[in-house]
Amino acid sequence: MHSRIIVAAALAALAQAVAAQDAYVVGVTGAMTGPQAGILAPVVEMAGAYVNHINGRGGINGKQVRLVVADDQGEPSRAAANAKKLVSQDNVVLLLNSSVSSTYAPVVAEAKRAGVPLYYAGAVCPKETYPPADALQFCSTAFGATLDSQAALDFIKRNSKEPVRLGLAGMAIPVSRGEIDYAEGLAKKLGMTPVDKEITPPPTPDYTPFATKLKDANPNWMWAWSPWFAQVRTYEAMRRIGWQGRYITWAHLNAEEELARIKDPDFYVIGTNAFFEDSLPIQAEIRAVAHRGNVKYPVTYLTEGYIVGVVIETALKNAGWPPTPQKVAGAMSKLKVDLKGLRGGPLEWTKDNHFRTRQYYRVWHWDAQKNAVVRVQDWQAIDVARQ
Amino acid sequence: MGSRVRGNDDRQVQLAVNIVVLASIYALISCGYVLIYRVSRVLSLAHGELMLLGAYGLYTTASLFSRSPLLAVAMALLLAAVIGLLVYALLMRRMTGESVLAAVLVTIALGILVRGLTVLIWSTQERHPLNLLGWGNASLPIGAARISGVGLAFVVITAALYGGLYIFLRYTHWGIRMRAAGQNPLLAAQRGINLHAVYALAWALATFTGGIAGMLIACDNALDQTMVTIGLKAFPAALVGGLDSLLGALAGSLIVACAEVLLIYYVDPLLSEVVPFAVLIAMLVVRPWGLFGSREELDRV
Repeated sequence: MHSRIIVAAALAALAQAVAAQDAYVVGVTGAMTGPQAGILAPVVEMAGAYVNHINGRGGINGKQVRLVVADDQGEPSRAAANAKKLVSQDNVVLLLNSSVSSTYAPVVAEAKRAGVPLYYAGAVCPKETYPPADALQFCSTAFGATLDSQAALDFIKRNSKEPVRLGLAGMAIPVSRGEIDYAEGLAKKLGMTPVDKEITPPPTPDYTPFATKLKDANPNWMWAWSPWFAQVRTYEAMRRIGWQGRYITWAHLNAEEELARIKDPDFYVIGTNAFFEDSLPIQAEIRAVAHRGNVKYPVTYLTEGYIVGVVIETALKNAGWPPTPQKVAGAMSKLKVDLKGLRGGPLEWTKDNHFRTRQYYRVWHWDAQKNAVVRVQDWQAIDVARQ
Repeated sequence: MGSRVRGNDDRQVQLAVNIVVLASIYALISCGYVLIYRVSRVLSLAHGELMLLGAYGLYTTASLFSRSPLLAVAMALLLAAVIGLLVYALLMRRMTGESVLAAVLVTIALGILVRGLTVLIWSTQERHPLNLLGWGNASLPIGAARISGVGLAFVVITAALYGGLYIFLRYTHWGIRMRAAGQNPLLAAQRGINLHAVYALAWALATFTGGIAGMLIACDNALDQTMVTIGLKAFPAALVGGLDSLLGALAGSLIVACAEVLLIYYVDPLLSEVVPFAVLIAMLVVRPWGLFGSREELDRV
């Protein structure tokens, strides 16, 4: 009986290996569950739906694409184990990280050991993807450290008639704290007065104690850059204790839906992905792909995941068949994707720049008169190469 | 940084309000830890997940009965209690007679299962049950300070719940049975008390109170997976007060909330993460069984 089970298991493993050899295998370690899953899992689900869409059209270069997803719950130890399995057992030619920044170090170590390109998909872009970029690390995620604060503070400056007393809010994770510290320094250079900086824990049952301190510092503008729940709960707590200033924050996946829920004209979001109020033809395709893939998130959450799918498709197509991690990395380091209006310009990677050459920002808020989400700033570009 | 504009008295009133609200949140959550531990000597590490389930119960009933918000809330409360009964009947009952550690491990497994199920059923998308109920979370003045509508609900419900539990445990047959089972289960069983019924009632009450906490947090902030971490944050408050004392849970919550709010305001907000555990360590050094806990239960803690 035991020998039959062993033979069956061996045959199953062999069949899987044969199938893998006849397909492009891409691995993902992502926070599919856990506290941060709300803004990361939709990216992976939509990327998976796009891969199904590719396969439905006959695959890439006549070959199917297999996406192997492993949940790391945002925990570094699980991410390390996932990365090890994906590169050594599944023999992926491309590894995606869709998780929190604390998982980066172990995943980078595994990817480098195996020489597999690592693509940050929905997760914040680390500085290794900025010029001069690490040869194996790439990122298409909308938000970018330092650039986002530059764009947000520029918007505040251009929209303030009175001197700016700036409050800052982040969350107790390295990437958010670093950005808020950077913004504090930048605000001083721009002639603003940073009046308070609060770093909230991830998460806390009541944000009012933090909001009280912020409100008492009397800012007329707030800039928050952290996961959505910390950004918006700090804002809501400040409003409930009577703060009346203006608040700008990063437009995560759910921003369009949230603006319509909050309905506050003085609550702004800044982001680099077009909202669905644009009704672009490409957004109709996102809707169709998500519908066919049975994705359970609102379509307004899915632009980021769609871009990931298009990047995977372009990179694998240019890498040819049979793929190797080296060929995929080579294709990625000269990748150019026309995003058809989803962003202000194309996504372009070069040998030294694995982030993008130009980053374009828009700002939206709720317009009470129009009873709709309205754009208050059109694409403003920051030249990444000049940073 | 910057000049503070609020007057000293105004600030103190707001801080006092913040302390009372946070203490109410911790007290409502830690009530569930204490009820289960006091009666069955099992430490439930799935309490955060059961809060999450209670909140998703409200989200579901609010979706189904959005035109009758009171019915939706009543159904969600009933559902929370039934979930507690089912957890005991289907899972924890089988742990009777097993080691305490085995029962604790089962609650950890239950937590993992609940987390997975909630993602499968409701996805990881943030939900707002208060909007579905058609209610708002108004900002209410208390002198110079302000409190949110849900914050006020936390204070009132926690006070009512602790008062109700006091009366229930002291003056009703089932309450006295629960205390007897907690004090000496063997003797209680020999006197004809149905231990399984008492334990099931404790689980139902704990899930009911935890469910209310989950529902209120979901209404005040939002409903997502972060609820699980919040559930664990109240655990030190229960330990500080003494894990087998409801009065202790109340006192522990007040101490932890007081330390947290004042340190956030006057020292560093980053301390809020460690404050509950710092208070806990201090208590373990001075009085390991907690403020109102039983000394003989120390080995189990």
